Amino acid sequence: MVSKHLVQYIVGRVITYVVTLFTAFTIIFLLLKAIPTSIVELIVESMRATGTVYDPRALIELREALYEIFGLRGSLLEQYTTFLRRFLSMDFGPSMISFPTPARELVLRFLPWTIGLLTFTTILSWVIGNILGALASLFRKSSASKILRGVALTVYPIPYYILALILIFLLCYVIPVFPIGGGAPTAPFLSLEFWRQVVHRSFLPAISIIIPSMFGWWFLSSSTLTLNTLSEDYYVYGELRGLPKSYLFKKYVLRNILLPQTTALALALGGIFGGALLTEAVFAYPGLGLLLYRSVGSGDYGVALSILSLSIIGISTATLIIDLAYPLIDPRVRYR
Amino acid sequence: MVSYLRIKNSLTAISKGFTRIWRTSLKFRLGFTIFIAILCLGAISIATPGYYKNWYYFRKDTPPQLTSLDFLFGITTNGRSVFWILVNAIINSLAIAAVTTLIASHLGLFIGMVAGIKGGWIDRVLMFITDTFVTIPGFPLLYVLSMTLRPILTLPLLGLLISITSWPWPARQVRAIVLSLRERDYVTVARLSGMGTAKIIISEIFPHLLGWHLINATNTVLYSIGSEAGLAILGLSILQEDTLGTMIYWCQHFGALYRGIWWWITPPITALIILFVSLYLISAGLQEYFNPRLRG
Repeated sequence: MVSKHLVQYIVGRVITYVVTLFTAFTIIFLLLKAIPTSIVELIVESMRATGTVYDPRALIELREALYEIFGLRGSLLEQYTTFLRRFLSMDFGPSMISFPTPARELVLRFLPWTIGLLTFTTILSWVIGNILGALASLFRKSSASKILRGVALTVYPIPYYILALILIFLLCYVIPVFPIGGGAPTAPFLSLEFWRQVVHRSFLPAISIIIPSMFGWWFLSSSTLTLNTLSEDYYVYGELRGLPKSYLFKKYVLRNILLPQTTALALALGGIFGGALLTEAVFAYPGLGLLLYRSVGSGDYGVALSILSLSIIGISTATLIIDLAYPLIDPRVRYR
Repeated sequence: MVSYLRIKNSLTAISKGFTRIWRTSLKFRLGFTIFIAILCLGAISIATPGYYKNWYYFRKDTPPQLTSLDFLFGITTNGRSVFWILVNAIINSLAIAAVTTLIASHLGLFIGMVAGIKGGWIDRVLMFITDTFVTIPGFPLLYVLSMTLRPILTLPLLGLLISITSWPWPARQVRAIVLSLRERDYVTVARLSGMGTAKIIISEIFPHLLGWHLINATNTVLYSIGSEAGLAILGLSILQEDTLGTMIYWCQHFGALYRGIWWWITPPITALIILFVSLYLISAGLQEYFNPRLRG
């Protein structure tokens, strides 16, 4: 049954979604404009630095042409409309850091690496962390869960890039098992060797993301949620009825903790498109984070804007989906 | 006289609360002790000799008068004492964190409370702004911001920048809590008896948020130190100042990890980890105290 309230709610939510997108885009655009490095000047400088003598008039023309191509001509408002048009068509013109490859193509080239790494690590750590956390709270008294909680307490607050540095030191330098900088594989595409190289090079970045999020955040939040469930009356009643522990775990605990945890997972998956800036920078992993790092560093608006827009769209779409789907999953929440 | 009494009363209340938390939670005791120890280590930075910043400037015929403290943790490749860098780094990192905590956690609290209490279009506008900031990914935003402001970056300004990315989530949470508090009977009674909004917020709503606010403030300290270190590793903090992050940056810059200069890279990383664990223990301890269900 589609009620009037439901339609109102959905329409209102979608309008907020669109307005939020544009506001966020505008903020990012203005911020990027304020970055003091100008890529056009950098390009012209680097051409002159090669020692060749250029005709000054040709140089001026070149500069004009570059400004035109990159959409940097005119007043701020004109540039804004240019980039807004590019944002709507998701085509950000040529990239500047590897001219003349289009920004879109560059982003698409880096995208699979980030998506592959982050989807894998997020889902794996979500599943294992949640189950471990729930079990650890369920069997509070056992020494295994005490050890797990101790590990979680130490690992959770440690930032993942510190862990990454330690891992690099141990597994690339002291015991050189993994390569220091993980680049794209050299073997031909889709051969067996290709996949072996992919796994070999993504192993350390993956581990440095998985450990803190699995033993840290997911473990702790799920064990806290489980503790809350365990003290609910219906759980105590179920226990008194003599229901087997496995049944209690599946039907009473997991279902209840899955609700908030699914929301968190959806948000985490929506955040993937921003890439893992620090991890990718530390490991030189060819993902969106590294591309963003380079493009902002050299003032490449096109590439930086396209990555940031992607991540804005990712996060706000995830939020929209959660808001619309939540009442379907949780009968206690009603559309207002 | 009255204000003096009030200050005295609130001081005794604070110390009483502190003793109670201290007695309840082992985690809090542990975390607080470690944190105070680190703070004491950082406090030694008052005694920092003036030459510590660039003693490689000294002419060879008039070297600085070195004490054994200078060699406590060894020296860096450009001849600076690791000990003095470390104690200054701790204090500077904590200073950035203090600025962030003062601004971000209170801004979040204030916006959340106003939005929750006032409702209507004020609520809608405030929540729209909050949602927009939630949408922009935090660390990349911070990265772009510090890239933009790099020429004029100072320690307090860096704290301010980190605040920009860390107030929206608390604001949303505070609003949710306030929304549920607002419907309670005693708030309605207060409103019907003619209490003003400010008075209601201070004496009826805020006491319920105090526990949450303390926990959030502790987490903000954690977040702030972590973000600064993250920025520094990318080379975007204030590299000429010593913070725990820039210390790691310079270690990487001079390849300390691969040249086996372990006494340079180990102190900042250990200090960061110990600091983080102690702050997290404090926050977990507070959580246990304010939410007795968690005492497992």
